[in-house]
Amino acid sequence: MEPKEVLDELKGILVSRLKFDPRRVADLTMETPLPKGVDGAVGLDSLDFIELSIAVEERFAIPMDESEDLVPHFASLESLSRFIAERAPSA
Amino acid sequence: MRRVVVTGLGAVSPFGAGVKAYWTGVAAGTCAIRPISLVETAGFRSQVAAEVPEGVAGSSRRSRADRLALLAAREALDDAGLTAAERADAALIVGAVGGGMLEAEAWHWRRRGRAVTARASAGALRSILPSSHADTLASRLHVLGPRETLVTACSSGAASLAVAADLIADGLVDVALAGGADAITRICYMGFNALKLLDPAPCRPFDRERKGMSIGEGAAFLVLEEAAHARARGAREYAALAGAAMTTDAFHVTAPHPDGDGMARAMRTALARGGVAPAAVGYVNAHGTATLQNDRIEAAALRRVFGEGRVLVSSTKSMIGHTMAAAGSLEALATVLALAHGVVPPTAQHEHTDPDVPFDCVPRVARAVSVDHAISNSFGFGGQNVTLLFRRAG
Repeated sequence: MEPKEVLDELKGILVSRLKFDPRRVADLTMETPLPKGVDGAVGLDSLDFIELSIAVEERFAIPMDESEDLVPHFASLESLSRFIAERAPSA
Repeated sequence: MRRVVVTGLGAVSPFGAGVKAYWTGVAAGTCAIRPISLVETAGFRSQVAAEVPEGVAGSSRRSRADRLALLAAREALDDAGLTAAERADAALIVGAVGGGMLEAEAWHWRRRGRAVTARASAGALRSILPSSHADTLASRLHVLGPRETLVTACSSGAASLAVAADLIADGLVDVALAGGADAITRICYMGFNALKLLDPAPCRPFDRERKGMSIGEGAAFLVLEEAAHARARGAREYAALAGAAMTTDAFHVTAPHPDGDGMARAMRTALARGGVAPAAVGYVNAHGTATLQNDRIEAAALRRVFGEGRVLVSSTKSMIGHTMAAAGSLEALATVLALAHGVVPPTAQHEHTDPDVPFDCVPRVARAVSVDHAISNSFGFGGQNVTLLFRRAG
């Protein structure tokens, strides 16, 4: 899967599953931080991260192992896209 | 008079995912009660249960019960072939008991420094309430009509179908997705262990050697639909839900009324609502837990309603255990398929019928017999009795 396709899918998830404003999501760059409380962040809270991780698992068929520290992978769309690209089963 | 028919089926059972696996197992009389892996049972009276095998598909951040519900409900909706607009108008009625308790228990035990058999995601904790299944199903499957979660203990799955049928008959909706889901939990397993109601071996309903019940888990959902609506869109009709009734014992927290009064009233009311005489019923899918209290009293109630030996009686719990909130819907599904296939599922492990059970319990081997009407009984703790009456399609 191309990084651009992954990015578009993630933006779609932010709008359809997490109910963020589509205009706000359209303006996101790869570097925009995700977690609430970080300067300039999209502002995901703990429940948003659970929903996002489920959506990523379901959309990209990536089972996530919670014994691993997943926080760094969910820092930005850039880190999350890389995480997905590395783990997604090749189509 | 708006009639209600069954147009979609979905299940996850101790035989695995899918209605096909379920019916294959049930019709073959296969017992899916095996050594338990989900919860710790050292020192317990019983160490067997009917678990859904080979993991349950879906994110580990969903509770096991939510994943069971999602798999079964999605299969039922796909089977019914509803449009997005029909789904959006449909009612969603879910029978639930444990909710996300399995994961909540694991989280709590780990915090207290206890080892737990199955790992559980903290993410699943948001789904602890029984109403979470309906939240998950509505958002993932876009079923957007009236929504209810029914918690009537072991009859929850059957009650969900009864209420959904009423919503359709009353004209509030044309389509409903209804059923129950439950995962095995420690509180359930330990509770029944403490009540000394668990058989150390797979349960033997209506057998004079029975020693109690076996716990199971799973989910089943049915798409119920107003008959003319189903016909107009050319839907496949598996059976009609001809009548349903709910009654209350209000007698004891766990024991049924000794005369089976509430049970008999549920059966008679369901028959009356369907305009069906007792003699027209060929098969009873019993509650049949294999506890002494249930089996003898249920048999007495059956005798009062149908007459001694006048109907075939079997218990699906002999194969899939007592699946709690899913039991009523998994067993309704078995009843529907029995009518559709002309095959009455057996009572597994049944060797010597209790003399207090004056019925043919279809021991061990399914019976090829065409039946026009069948009922499915579900009786919850506290005397929450539900009977569903189904009629063969066509």
